[in-house]
Amino acid sequence: MGKSLITFNVGETVSIRCVRCGRNFTKRLSDLGLFDGALVTILKNDSFGPIILKVLGSKIALGRGEAEKIYGETK
Amino acid sequence: MVRRNNVLVGLAGNPNVGKTTLFNALTGSKQHVGNWPGKTVEKKEGTFTYGDVQCVLVDLPGTYSLTAYTEEEAVTSDFILDENPDVIIHIVDAGNLERNLFITVQLLELGAPVVLALNMVSQAQSEGITINQKLLSELLNIPVVMIDAKRQGGFKKLLDETNTVAKLHKKPDLKLTYGREVNRTLKRIKDFLIDHDTFTEQEQEWLAIKLLEDDVRSKKIIRQKDYARDLERLVRENVVQLENIYGKDIHALLASTRFAFIRGLTREVVHERKDKNVSFSDTVDRYLTNKFLGVPLFLGVIFLIFEATFYLSNPIIRFFESTIAFFGHSLALVLVKYGAPAWVESLLIDGVVGGVGSIVAFVPIIGVLFFFMAFLEDSGYMARVAYVMDKFMHAFGLHGKAFIPFVLGFGCNVPGIMATRTLQTKKDRLLTMLVIPFVTCGARLPVYMLFVGVFFPEHRGVVIFSIYLTSIIISMLSGLVLKKILGNSLASPFVIELPRYRVPSIKGMLIHAWERVWIFIKKAGTIILVFSMIIWFLASFPFGVEYGSEQSLVGAIGKTVAPLLAPLGFGHWRAAVALMFGFVAKEVIVSTFGTLYGIDMTVVSNSVTSIAHSFQTDFTPLSAYSFMLFVLLYVPCIAVVAVIKRETHSYKWPLFLIVYTTAIAWSVSFMVFQIGSLLGF
Repeated sequence: MGKSLITFNVGETVSIRCVRCGRNFTKRLSDLGLFDGALVTILKNDSFGPIILKVLGSKIALGRGEAEKIYGETK
Repeated sequence: MVRRNNVLVGLAGNPNVGKTTLFNALTGSKQHVGNWPGKTVEKKEGTFTYGDVQCVLVDLPGTYSLTAYTEEEAVTSDFILDENPDVIIHIVDAGNLERNLFITVQLLELGAPVVLALNMVSQAQSEGITINQKLLSELLNIPVVMIDAKRQGGFKKLLDETNTVAKLHKKPDLKLTYGREVNRTLKRIKDFLIDHDTFTEQEQEWLAIKLLEDDVRSKKIIRQKDYARDLERLVRENVVQLENIYGKDIHALLASTRFAFIRGLTREVVHERKDKNVSFSDTVDRYLTNKFLGVPLFLGVIFLIFEATFYLSNPIIRFFESTIAFFGHSLALVLVKYGAPAWVESLLIDGVVGGVGSIVAFVPIIGVLFFFMAFLEDSGYMARVAYVMDKFMHAFGLHGKAFIPFVLGFGCNVPGIMATRTLQTKKDRLLTMLVIPFVTCGARLPVYMLFVGVFFPEHRGVVIFSIYLTSIIISMLSGLVLKKILGNSLASPFVIELPRYRVPSIKGMLIHAWERVWIFIKKAGTIILVFSMIIWFLASFPFGVEYGSEQSLVGAIGKTVAPLLAPLGFGHWRAAVALMFGFVAKEVIVSTFGTLYGIDMTVVSNSVTSIAHSFQTDFTPLSAYSFMLFVLLYVPCIAVVAVIKRETHSYKWPLFLIVYTTAIAWSVSFMVFQIGSLLGF
């Protein structure tokens, strides 16, 4: 299952293992390229506020509460 | 479906890929903005001719997917399936093909006749990305053209291909394989449909996959059928089964298959240089999204925009003022020459020219300000602001995504409140709706401008900036308080793409600014005109009293209300009347002053006239500031109250809004005026 996204450091590439965000939002994230098995890179992770990810070539800002519910492991 | 003689073209694409730029470039000024039937989503339509073909171009909402959960996403598939467009031009960002092709695949699955337009090719090339356009076209079996929407490059080729596709009526033949288990499921659903209904093969194909995805539109189609219950059960059982086999959510499963297909495709057609430099966007983002610098930089940008707005609009305002004054004088001369009765002269000069004219002078400010706002939006900075602000919005109980309705609210509160529909929980929506009225809208700006022009000519930028800052602070604080009252809610999730920075097209920004200006002018020609005349009437009767004096009807009304405002520093009847009529629309406050003090009230620039002198006897700088704050915070206009009534389906919340905004306005103005007086201002 891995660790929560917010625990990774900037620059790490993470392979998503599990998204626990509720059905509708999980769908929205899938559309953006954030689904089980996707690779994302952490671009910004301040100690508070949203994190910024590189997903499929674009930057996506994701609320901290949501990022907390997404798990992955370093590749 | 009736076939037209002209060609119907839909324009689809992700957000931030230059879709609007292409739309504007193709249709120019021949645009029409309306609503999609039965929906609140804006529909933009335009026409253009190419050779002897008349094309109707429909701008489809920018989305990341066509599987519909929201109204915006449903629009595109509805359009394709109901209106049978001849061509769908799908514009994609060449620098980010992998993400963008997701919609292409869905469009092709829907059976849409697609022409793929690769935009921003040169930008991609400078980042080391090259695309084998021919191979892409062969693999997808659709025409692919390279365009430059901003510089209008490649349009001839694009339109040629569009024409060809329209003539051939060729349907795409792309078929994705979703894996054995999924295919089995799809077959089961299709078999059910074959047994129970008469859909075409393509429709079966589409329905099966969309039912698996829990798509709103396909569910609606099925719900009307007598076999609905059985089919829904079949789909549900199969979804559960699939999710168990793959250990994944069904959306993740389908999305990953689509993206896997796309990755296979892009691996062949996209060539990416390995030694990519740090891009310009990354460098800029290091500062603009910095955890310490982000907010100060944003405030700095807004401040600069105000300063620049005043600086640039001043000469145009002067021109407008002198034109209006000249018009007033000429009109008066003409009226005298033809012996018009005195009351007609008074109605036209004091009422209409005084009222409406005082508003028209603010057109340049609205135009320039929204030109800059469009720049923030189109350059990609606004998404960063949403990111930066999310941290702070959260602290105050508001959701980061509420920032978008918030920003819209600065233009006009009404679309801001309507945009709260993107928030998912009811409580988040209600909270945001009740806070947005404190966001200072474009209609309030003329009031501030009038007062700073007379009372703070030296410090206009600073004073207006402080009003905007107060607006933000009060909205945040009230969010915090309302959250306590309404109880904690499950926050709607926040996710937003941060597009690459780019230089916006001047044309696009001009169109955006013009849309705002036009709304403003229309309002001046209708509601403000009518109320200027009503106020003139009230100011002239009963017969025999001096026009606009305390003995007139309006004077009597004002004097009744005025004592309530005395502790705030503006307890005189003209201010009371203006505020009362401001409920109709905030600009009416200015036009009312215009009607009551006389035509030369328009003292936006530094040309303080003799009438401004009488304005100065009613207000001091302190009471003027108190008045501006009151206008900022008190009851929003009637349109806002009405839209909140509509959105909440209740009278409770709009009534609550009227009471609590006025209470807060009164308290803030009271404190500012009383403390200011004590300090000797």
